[in-house]
Amino acid sequence: MPDQESEETLSPEHSSASTSAQQPDLADVVIEVDDVNFSYVKGTDVLRDITMNIKRGEVTALIGPSGCGKSTLLRCLNRMNDLIPTAAITKGEIRILDTNVYDPKVDPIELRKHVGMVFQKYNPFPKSIYENVAFGLRIQGIKKKSVLDEAVERSLKSAGLWNEVKDRLDTSGLGLSGGQQQRLCIARTIAVEPKIVLMDEPCSALDPISTTIIEELITQLKEEFTIVIVTHNMQQATRVSDKTAYFYLGELIEMDDTIRIFNSPSRKETEDYISGRFG
Amino acid sequence: MSHSGNPDSPSSPAKERLVFKRRGVQIFGLGWQDVIRIFFGGNASLAIIILILICFFLAKEAFLFFPDHHRDLNSYRQSGQEFVGFMGEEVTAHTNLYSSANIAYFAEVNRTSRVEDTILRSYRSVLANVENRSSKTWGRLEREIDALEEVEDDLSDLDPETEEDVAEIASLTEEKRRLEKEIPPLREKLKREVNTILSWDEIWDLGVGAEEPPADSIPGIREAVLFEAFPDAEEEHPFIEKTKQISKEKKAAAAAELAEFKETIKGMQAVVRPLKDLERELKEPALENKKEITSFSTAPERRDAWLKGAEATRDPEEKARMLARAEEVVIKEPDYAAINQVFYDAITRHASIAAPLEVEMKTLFDKLPTPAGVVTKSAKENLKRAGVFYDRFQESMASNRKKIREWSHDHPVTVVESVSAFLVGKNWTTNSSWHDFYGLLPLFTGSLLISIIALTVSVPFSIAAAIYVNQLSSFREQSFIKPAIEFIGAIPSVVLGFFGILVFGEALRNISQVEWLQWFPGFPMAERLTILNAGLLLAFMAVPTIFTLTEDALNNVPQAFTENSLAMGATKLQTVFRVVVPTAVSGVIAAVLLGFGRIIGETMVVLLVAGNKIKIPDFTEGLGVVTQPAHTMTGIIAQELGEVDSGSLHWRALFMVGMVLFVISLLVNFAAQRVLKKFQKI
Ligand SMILES: Nc1ncnc2c1ncn2[C@@H]1O[C@H](COP(=O)(O)OP(=O)(O)OP(=O)(O)O)[C@@H](O)[C@H]1O
Ligand SMILES: [Mg+2]
Repeated sequence: MPDQESEETLSPEHSSASTSAQQPDLADVVIEVDDVNFSYVKGTDVLRDITMNIKRGEVTALIGPSGCGKSTLLRCLNRMNDLIPTAAITKGEIRILDTNVYDPKVDPIELRKHVGMVFQKYNPFPKSIYENVAFGLRIQGIKKKSVLDEAVERSLKSAGLWNEVKDRLDTSGLGLSGGQQQRLCIARTIAVEPKIVLMDEPCSALDPISTTIIEELITQLKEEFTIVIVTHNMQQATRVSDKTAYFYLGELIEMDDTIRIFNSPSRKETEDYISGRFG
Repeated sequence: MSHSGNPDSPSSPAKERLVFKRRGVQIFGLGWQDVIRIFFGGNASLAIIILILICFFLAKEAFLFFPDHHRDLNSYRQSGQEFVGFMGEEVTAHTNLYSSANIAYFAEVNRTSRVEDTILRSYRSVLANVENRSSKTWGRLEREIDALEEVEDDLSDLDPETEEDVAEIASLTEEKRRLEKEIPPLREKLKREVNTILSWDEIWDLGVGAEEPPADSIPGIREAVLFEAFPDAEEEHPFIEKTKQISKEKKAAAAAELAEFKETIKGMQAVVRPLKDLERELKEPALENKKEITSFSTAPERRDAWLKGAEATRDPEEKARMLARAEEVVIKEPDYAAINQVFYDAITRHASIAAPLEVEMKTLFDKLPTPAGVVTKSAKENLKRAGVFYDRFQESMASNRKKIREWSHDHPVTVVESVSAFLVGKNWTTNSSWHDFYGLLPLFTGSLLISIIALTVSVPFSIAAAIYVNQLSSFREQSFIKPAIEFIGAIPSVVLGFFGILVFGEALRNISQVEWLQWFPGFPMAERLTILNAGLLLAFMAVPTIFTLTEDALNNVPQAFTENSLAMGATKLQTVFRVVVPTAVSGVIAAVLLGFGRIIGETMVVLLVAGNKIKIPDFTEGLGVVTQPAHTMTGIIAQELGEVDSGSLHWRALFMVGMVLFVISLLVNFAAQRVLKKFQKI
């Protein structure tokens, strides 16, 4: 059977594919995932042999069926999985800006200031819009009003929310519409000027118009930030991302330029998945 | 079921028919579901009906209080008692001033003989301990010595010349000889015993915080105790005699130095005498008047009672007697103007007493030493308070002089006066031969002070514990801290009260005597049962309520907030204090309010532990006010309701106190619910 054959040759081909795609500008790589295994509970690896490089200023989309480990990989990058006591990387290394993220000397708190995250369910704090955006700066001990004002305005502008909320900065962030709340969360994340922004299905709870706005926002933000986005929406992946990685059952099947993945994927599973003939 | 008819038949249309018939058991045409529904609904409405009945009953009894109380106040005025009461207030104001000056004086005098007094106190304490331990031998020796004395007495009464007494004399002499032989070895035995006991350390334990006697006095004390072990010793041991003498001399010397102080105090006591005499003199007619007025107001009732009794009885003789008694009841309204004349006459007398009293008190007060001019802590504090009391004395003199001048027995008591006499009345006096006062203030302040202490202690403690358990602790810690704290709620309050009396009160008092804690206001405490004790125990009782509700509130904060905050690079603590707690704040406020409701409504502990002294605590002590005993609104109801006649004014007054409590609880609950509702919106 053809399926079985391709299964056997998975590992070598996939690693050569991903390296060949990114070999030329290794200097620009900000995230290196190097042969990583990850498990929530000892003995059952949820991620296996993941190797991928993500370059500065690119949007990388992670796609794959539900439960394949996209969110898990994302949460490995900013060490949010540390909150689960038994969770651990069992093999390999993740390097962000040439630093091994799981090095004992690395403080996850510091790491998260550089690797921001936007969640699927938008979740502003029950504070004013202003305080929501200023939160990240305040916890870093910045109290100066002028600095905060400037950062709030800049972030809200980048998130395309400024014009909508500039007259009611001191009203509750919970009073905004869903799409606005998600953009507020994005503003909150970028206010601390992270290097990398991780987005876990940022649009899945939103209406089409809000989705479009946020997609546009992502294409603008990639000037400044390296973005990794998880999505179930194939069109969205083609619209916003430069690279796409397809995951299946905890393994990285294929990663390449988005155009290539969606037009001529080198793996049959990928083709099956993106054309909806998933099996 | 489908009808098996012809599809074209007009009577039965060609349709499938379903039969929606009730199935299962039927009771009065109701299905099982309905029965269960009605049962539960019935229970709920029964609870509501009972609640309404309780409220109604409480309200009815409570609000009947006001008309009764109003009548009572009117009779207080019409009998002239009110008039005398004004003078009583002046006397009290003076007494407060005088006694704090007096305490200050004695603190100063006794200071000089402190060492000697300590020795004497330790001697008495050790002696009592020793006597206790050797009580068997000691008692026997005492009995034998007494018996010997008696025998000797009897012998001296008998006459050896007379025939009859000879035999008696012989037996008594025999007895005497026996006792004389027995006593010396017993004495030796006691001495040995006492000697051994004296070497035990616990004998020298004078209680926590008690001052130790100087080391060089220990042998003297020991010897004196041994000396006392001769129960027939006529005099005290020379060492004790001498110490007493020195103490006396030192006191005398100090008194001589403080002669002016003493004179001032004596002067204070003397100048108030005319006022006191006048008050006492006027009390008599006032009481007479009261009797007359009461008799008048109850006359119709008494007559009706006799008449009813006559109607009910069958015996004609008895009937005649009762009717005669009914006839005897006179209903005659007193001549108020006449019976109060004596008070109007006293107005000028009072004025002629009050004016010089004020002048003399001013000179006397100015002669008192200043707090800086004395040495001991107690004297300083009491002189400071004397200053406050002097101001109050002046105020009292001024306001009461005016009241006395303007007093009139036939100004009816206004509604405002009568309501405020209850709500802000400063006295709660019952079963008094003079007049019963129903003023809420002493009880209210007691309850309030206790609640304040309980809240200030329990709120930070419970909230911190809740934050720790909910946010910071490990799962293992959680699984025993939570049940442990919740278990506190299961302790019966009477048990806690018991603990408060026997263990905690004693411990607190001992702690209050520790030297290096003396900066704390009100220390050392004289009492075991105090506001502080009750407040701390109630704090303990309120912890589970506040803790559990706060924990719930924290639990209700969506996990996503925590996750978002952490993903922003916040530390765990920053997350807790900047996101979780602010989000839960209304739940926390509600928890505190409900904790307050729990505290203010608690009865058993305060009844047992607060000391039950019905008096507004003396705030001149500053924060030390918490070391005084007090009574509470809940406590008074529990204590007095069992002993009063139902329907009496006192009874109604207690209901009114209950009503006030009810309203407070209602408001607190209402506020808590409002806050919670706001909280649930996020
Ligand atoms: N906290 C956890 N503890 C244990 N196992 C987990 C935990 N979270 C996720 N998993 C498991 O890890 C695997 C990958 O989950 P993950 O959430 O990464 O999937 P996903 O690709 O993000 O799926 P989706 O598209 O539905 O979000 C799943 O099998 C899931 O059951
Ligand atoms: Mg996911």
